[in-house]
Amino acid sequence: MSILVVGLNHKSAPVEIREKLAFNANNISTALSLFLHKHQAAEAVILSTCNRVEIYVSSIEGTVTVEDVFSFLAEFHKIESGNFSPYMYHYKDGRAVNHLFFVTASLDSMVLGESQILSQVKEAYTMASMEEATGKVMNQLFQQALNVAKIIHTKTSIGKRKVSISSVAVEFAEKIFQDFTGKMVLVVGAGEMCELLLKHLYEEGARTIVVANRTFERAQEIANAFQGQAIKYELLGEYLAKADIIISSTSAPHYVIHVDQVKEAIWHRRGNPMFLIDIAVPRDIEPDVANVDNVYLYNIDDLQSVVNQNIDERTREVEKCRAIVEEEVEHFMAKLEEMKIEPAITQLRNHFHTVGKEELERLRPKLKTIDTGDWEQVVYTMERTINKLLHHPAKVAKLEAKNGGGYRYVETIKKLFGIFHHTDHPQH
Amino acid sequence: MIMTHIPFIITILLYFVSSVWSIGSIIKPIFFTKKVAKWSMMMGFFIHSGFLVFLGLESGNIPITNVYESFVSLLWCVLFVYINLDYLYKLPSLDTFLMPLVTALSIWALTFDGGNLLITVSLQNFWLVAHIIPIFIGYAAFTISFSLSVMYLTQQRQLKHKLFGPLFSKLPSLEGIDKLMWKTISFGFPLLTLGLVFGTFWVRTQDILGEQWYLDYKVVLGLATWLIYAALLHMRLVASFHGTRIALLTIAGFCLVLFTFIGTFFMGSKHAFQRVSEQTHNEIVNIR
Repeated sequence: MSILVVGLNHKSAPVEIREKLAFNANNISTALSLFLHKHQAAEAVILSTCNRVEIYVSSIEGTVTVEDVFSFLAEFHKIESGNFSPYMYHYKDGRAVNHLFFVTASLDSMVLGESQILSQVKEAYTMASMEEATGKVMNQLFQQALNVAKIIHTKTSIGKRKVSISSVAVEFAEKIFQDFTGKMVLVVGAGEMCELLLKHLYEEGARTIVVANRTFERAQEIANAFQGQAIKYELLGEYLAKADIIISSTSAPHYVIHVDQVKEAIWHRRGNPMFLIDIAVPRDIEPDVANVDNVYLYNIDDLQSVVNQNIDERTREVEKCRAIVEEEVEHFMAKLEEMKIEPAITQLRNHFHTVGKEELERLRPKLKTIDTGDWEQVVYTMERTINKLLHHPAKVAKLEAKNGGGYRYVETIKKLFGIFHHTDHPQH
Repeated sequence: MIMTHIPFIITILLYFVSSVWSIGSIIKPIFFTKKVAKWSMMMGFFIHSGFLVFLGLESGNIPITNVYESFVSLLWCVLFVYINLDYLYKLPSLDTFLMPLVTALSIWALTFDGGNLLITVSLQNFWLVAHIIPIFIGYAAFTISFSLSVMYLTQQRQLKHKLFGPLFSKLPSLEGIDKLMWKTISFGFPLLTLGLVFGTFWVRTQDILGEQWYLDYKVVLGLATWLIYAALLHMRLVASFHGTRIALLTIAGFCLVLFTFIGTFFMGSKHAFQRVSEQTHNEIVNIR
């Protein structure tokens, strides 16, 4: 049994190549069944996201090679394998397992520590198992990968700090306001960033949303999307004192919100805090607003610098994660070795029991007068003897297998006892 | 003398451990666990309670026979109110602000041990209990609101100056702290009022502070304390004021509380405590 991964990602290949090799929800099952049709004894999982396309294959003693996967990809996507092969990477066995654990724990992602990849891996695995493309090895491998990712996310802070402008802004808003229900969010201007921020706030419970924009139609468009209210741009001043959170992103070349206005607003608000987010360049809110008591002003640079710090923080956690992954890979490889030996041990056990049964059948007619209870005792003793005899060698073989030498043991035992059938069929 | 105060010294040590751990849990939560902070506080409180019971049994009265005992009792009230509030509202990280204060005040209280100010009024008096207990619990609530104000100002400073250290993520929202501050003040204020009203009744019915009782420092400052908290409540209730000014006023209120409670003795106020010479002190102790 050998594990192979062939793939490419955002680091190894440009988007033009990635998009050519990408699979979608519709053709992934066809691809899997085509692949398994070609390589009957193999197991496979296809992971295809916008940043990576990877095929995980498990086959008996590496019968499926990198070239096999290349030619399959070329055939399926109808492109020359020479076009994409320079961008591909491939790993075998331990390194392949290591790679999957790394990917699943989001250590190989564009945004380090993001959690989306975990669900993508889960989905890829579910898809493959529904297509019956996975067997004992792939099941173990992917379940373990998902497990490791969870361990890493709880034991390290890789995914803890926020790494997008809008999520950082919402985090700050949460340090000012206990919750967003009943809080008014005033949006000035209608940039894309604004919408993203609004979406975040909306998800966290903000329901009173007011949008002011130079073109009223655009304001209405955004307001409708969040069940908010669009107001005429000229009314901005009136709403200032009512707003708890103000997001500004106009393209105006001058300041839109001035110190005097904010001072007046905060006076009307009796010191109730105001949170102003200025994501416009050039800035919309006069910087001196930050000095007004109970007003908290953040501009795009403030938010970006926090994002950068948080990214650094995540990067610092990578070493810790790597150590966990390495340990888990070792565990998995040991388990895999043990798995390799299991069918052989079952075979051996079956062989012993068959012999035992044959002997019992031979004995039964000779003991005409024995009653059922006594006969059951005889059968029981026979089974017990066999199990006892096999217990120790099976234990030793499993133990040895973990260190990588068990296969030889089983081969020897098989030879000694005359069991010649090959047993390594994948169990679909 | 010192032997009898060993339980309180142990209490202080436990409060100190709790302070260190509650501060440490912010900086290095892996080493300084919240559990240690909590349990050392609880242990301290347990011994603190036991110590008060011991003092009470020894004198046969509530333990406020001298300034030291009153101080120890007040600190017990602070812990008592805090533990109950924490149970009710789950105040995150408040111990980081409260426990160092409690520890410092406890050490200060210890310096009053062996002081020569003894209470002169009879302790078996309904008015005394009615006067002292509401005021002590009110003061305890104000101590907690003070800690919350410091927390509020810390968090608002971090937000203002964009300092996002480990403390930033541990502290709750400004609004959340503001609400709790309000709750503790509105809990303490009626009690303070009640205590002052009972005190007034008492002083009018029995001659304990002399003719010009209203000129006693403690009485005057008590009224000032009442006024500052009344103003706070008014600002919040009627004018719905929030933010840093309320927090600053709460801090001022607490300073006045502390001054009314302890400072007045340095100013020579007696307020029913009689300065006695060491000899008479010992005599009184022996008689008891």
